[in-house]
Amino acid sequence: MRQRIGVYICHCGGNISDYVDVEELSKMFHKEDGVVVSKDVMFVCADSNQKAMVEDIQKHNLDAIVVASCSPKLHLHTFRGVAGRAGLNPNNYVQVNIREQCSWPHSDRPREATVKAAGLIRAGINRVAFSEALDNIEIEVKKAAMVIGAGVSGMKAAIDLARSGNEVYLVEKDYFVGGRIAQKEKLFTSGQSGKEIVRKLYEEIKTYKNVTVFTGATIEKVTGSLGSFNIEVKVKPRYINGKIDKQTVKRAMDDCQVYADDEFNLGLSKRKAIYKNYPEALPDVPVVDVEALKDHPDYLEKYKAVINLNEKEETIALLVGSVLVTTGFDNYEPKEGEFGYKNIPNVITLPQLNRLMELSPEKLVYNGKEIKSVAFIYCVGSRQKKGENKYCSRHCCTSTIYTALQLKSKYGKIQNYHLYRDIRTYGKQEILYEQASKQGDLFFKYEEKEMPTVEMNGKGISLKVKDYLTAKKEMEIAPDLVVLVTGMVARADASHISELFKIPIGNDKFFNEIHPKLKPVETVIKGVYIGGTCQGPKNVSEAVQSSLAGASKITALLKSGTVMGDPVVARVNADICTWCGKCAEVCDYTAIREIVNEAGKHIAGVNKGVCTGCGICAPVCPVNAIEVAKYTDNEIEAMIDGFAADVEIKEKEASTVTEEKEDVVAAHMKEYPQIWKDILATIETDKKTIPEVVETLKIAPEMVTYHLMTMNKYGVVTPAGTNEKEEYYYYKIK
Amino acid sequence: MAKVNPEFASELIKYGVGDFNECFNCGNCTATCSLSTNDSSFPREMIRYTTLGLEDEIKTSLKPWECYYCGECTKECPRQANPGELMMSLRRWLTAQYDWTGFSGLFYKYLPAFLTAMVLVFAGVLFFANLVNWELERMLHYGHLFEMLAIATVFVVIFIPNLLRMWRFSVIKAGVKAPLRNYFTALGDLFVHMFTQKRAKDCDDNHFRWLEHLVLVIAYLSLLFTTVFLNWFGTENLFVIILGYLESAFIFIITVDFVKDRIQQKKALAKNSKPSDWFFVIWLLLMGLTAFLVRLFIDLNILESNKWLYLFHLMVLAQWALIIVPFGKWTHFLYRSFAMYFAKIKSMKS
Repeated sequence: MRQRIGVYICHCGGNISDYVDVEELSKMFHKEDGVVVSKDVMFVCADSNQKAMVEDIQKHNLDAIVVASCSPKLHLHTFRGVAGRAGLNPNNYVQVNIREQCSWPHSDRPREATVKAAGLIRAGINRVAFSEALDNIEIEVKKAAMVIGAGVSGMKAAIDLARSGNEVYLVEKDYFVGGRIAQKEKLFTSGQSGKEIVRKLYEEIKTYKNVTVFTGATIEKVTGSLGSFNIEVKVKPRYINGKIDKQTVKRAMDDCQVYADDEFNLGLSKRKAIYKNYPEALPDVPVVDVEALKDHPDYLEKYKAVINLNEKEETIALLVGSVLVTTGFDNYEPKEGEFGYKNIPNVITLPQLNRLMELSPEKLVYNGKEIKSVAFIYCVGSRQKKGENKYCSRHCCTSTIYTALQLKSKYGKIQNYHLYRDIRTYGKQEILYEQASKQGDLFFKYEEKEMPTVEMNGKGISLKVKDYLTAKKEMEIAPDLVVLVTGMVARADASHISELFKIPIGNDKFFNEIHPKLKPVETVIKGVYIGGTCQGPKNVSEAVQSSLAGASKITALLKSGTVMGDPVVARVNADICTWCGKCAEVCDYTAIREIVNEAGKHIAGVNKGVCTGCGICAPVCPVNAIEVAKYTDNEIEAMIDGFAADVEIKEKEASTVTEEKEDVVAAHMKEYPQIWKDILATIETDKKTIPEVVETLKIAPEMVTYHLMTMNKYGVVTPAGTNEKEEYYYYKIK
Repeated sequence: MAKVNPEFASELIKYGVGDFNECFNCGNCTATCSLSTNDSSFPREMIRYTTLGLEDEIKTSLKPWECYYCGECTKECPRQANPGELMMSLRRWLTAQYDWTGFSGLFYKYLPAFLTAMVLVFAGVLFFANLVNWELERMLHYGHLFEMLAIATVFVVIFIPNLLRMWRFSVIKAGVKAPLRNYFTALGDLFVHMFTQKRAKDCDDNHFRWLEHLVLVIAYLSLLFTTVFLNWFGTENLFVIILGYLESAFIFIITVDFVKDRIQQKKALAKNSKPSDWFFVIWLLLMGLTAFLVRLFIDLNILESNKWLYLFHLMVLAQWALIIVPFGKWTHFLYRSFAMYFAKIKSMKS
């Protein structure tokens, strides 16, 4: 219990004292138990008063302070600072808000405002009496970070993290790095090759000794929290004898005649059973598809020196201080029959077309027929009013238009048709849209309620669209190829990552940040950040921007080796707790788990690094063994008692208020600011309007207006009729 | 169901239009057009039809004729798709569609064909002069006969069938069933538009251009009447002689102003002059000028010693009557007024 409390009640220059009788209150709390100092001050936050407070605390040996003034949003830190400077623990201070909660909202009922303020201040005094001298929580952090997903976002982030001196583990699920951009021959708007970017990034990563890249690796288990995450990574074998030279491996690849579906080329071709995603794929070690080769013992026997079937998968335990998730996106897979997909031969998706173009250097041929015209249907799997994906996938409009430009520049005479809902080539990408129009591409606008239809007739594909640009006339197009512009969806295994790290998932199934504007890469899990397209649709630049933001946040977090946390966390009374587990069940942050204390008793243990002090655990405890610091039962009950206690304040008569004020004003005439004196001087002999005062004093009209109005309010000046044109009031000294 | 035909754009480019592919259908052109109305809005719709190659829709439409090319749309176009010039090219293309002989299209699309025709007519004139042994009297006599014959033939053989085709495309194929009565009621509109071009007055703020055009049309038609029916070159009637002088003077003064506009290229409509435009305006100028000079030489009694002047006039006249009038820009005069006539019929209640 605090016994020597200081109470400071603020006038706020009239903001509070005009309605709340602060002088009466300060007199009243003199008599309160435990209160040593009780003052009302014109501006508590003024420098002079802060100094006086420090002196009070030291002179009277105060052990707690209460400030009744404005919202803690404004001055909580100011007075914590005062407490700190006076040698008091900042947590032995309570802020009471009697401006926003009393004087302002109840200006029509000054007495009630005063009564309410008295209750709130007494509650504050009672609370501070139970306050504890808490210290901030210090969490040690391991100067190591894990980046999950080695696409362009993850690789760029890994480089930045490594450059800042962190130990970095870059974990990639696929056997090769690069992610989605490796599947693009050219990236808008720069025209750079995706594979070239992947190569450069990989080479740069290799120059850092503090980056370890795991490919064919998945996250299996996560324990721990901010500062020390224990993560188990499972690395799948490549089944290639590491000691054998590259030439022999290449010979084995060339000789392989067993083929399997090629996921990298999105089913457009077959790959060998010993393969790389593409010839330059990195790391430069192929992978053996053991499943595909199991019925080919001859081949396995022939190359037993190359293929090591005994290689086992490995599980590696890593300790990191923070995690950046950059797991990327999946392409939307159209449903069978959606615009004829999979039912009509020449209907493919945009990612497939991009692969097809890279695989077709000379002529664009599909299903044995040269393609002379291509129709793109936009927003497939995006912006669905009724479907699951309500969002716009952001990159596809530009991607499609860029592809259309490539088609024409690469293969010559190709007619492109664009069936869009809205063209969103925002920012600098707009130039591409103009180029596409210029090269003769035709644009048709459709609406979701009247979708285009794709059918086969005798000659080929018949694409029908109700064109909103031509008064909804139904148009028929006969393209050689229909390309469905599919959007981005969350990774199919995003829920796996989400479960391991407890990252919340939005309605759109992408990972959720805390706040789209103010905390755009942070998750509710401290130390876990998200970047790139695992968070929602983005183009390459935007994805890299967000992952680099995440990398910067992590660098700042890990820099000093420790992190300071707020002491407002849950704590357990070991004597009472019997470990029923109810608190752990309700905890959203998995901050509570069962531990065995020194006495050998099973109780709930709170991870202070993870706990956010939300307090959901306290009410569910059947034996009242868990509480949140600064919000203990004692404190809350004392506050309620304090607020509920009777307050006896006699009503101030309105007339005395004004009289007193006038007296004060008259007495302190010499105390007026210079500008008041100047204005009063100009109207001393003769009444003047505001423009006339402005003209005389040569100062800004707003200043004159403001100060004249204030003086009018306090009865220093008074209006004296209007001028002839009735435009302005004259003012004279009252 | 309309079939999209992207090839049409390249066909229309031969009729003079530039790059209209950049159009992104904002509709600024229609919004800014002072002639476009809610019931009949253009040019955006026409650009859209052209881009998609909906030939039937264009052929049955009269909208290209409703535009008098003030150039406001071209000025306001955010994509420099030049809607004004597109409407102009559509008028040329429509002219070619209406013309059963196919010469209009040929001449618009291939300048050499047009030049060859002009040279052939010139050779024909020389041949005729030779046939009458370069005798001025006979040349004047047969020249006058030729004028009358040419007018009649062009009307019967070219204009009437072409106007019928225009009617078939824009009224019958467009599915309009109008009672005969409407054809009579709307006749007033036909003549008003033909002789006053009153729509052009609403086209932009430049009423002077409209006035110039009106005076030119009246001067041209009355000169035609004066030379053909009052036999200006043969008459002794002082009134007729002075009338002819005035008419021809008006023609070449106004055409000089029009040529100047096309050279200076200040106005949008004068920026994209095609050979067909140049020949039209220059030949009109030459007609006025040579007619004036011929009559002057007659009055000064020096034509006998300057037969070349009459031959030159006859050549200009023949090329005008046989090529430019039936297959060139002159037909705008007819098609525009008939377009307004048909539009009126279409809009009337049946």
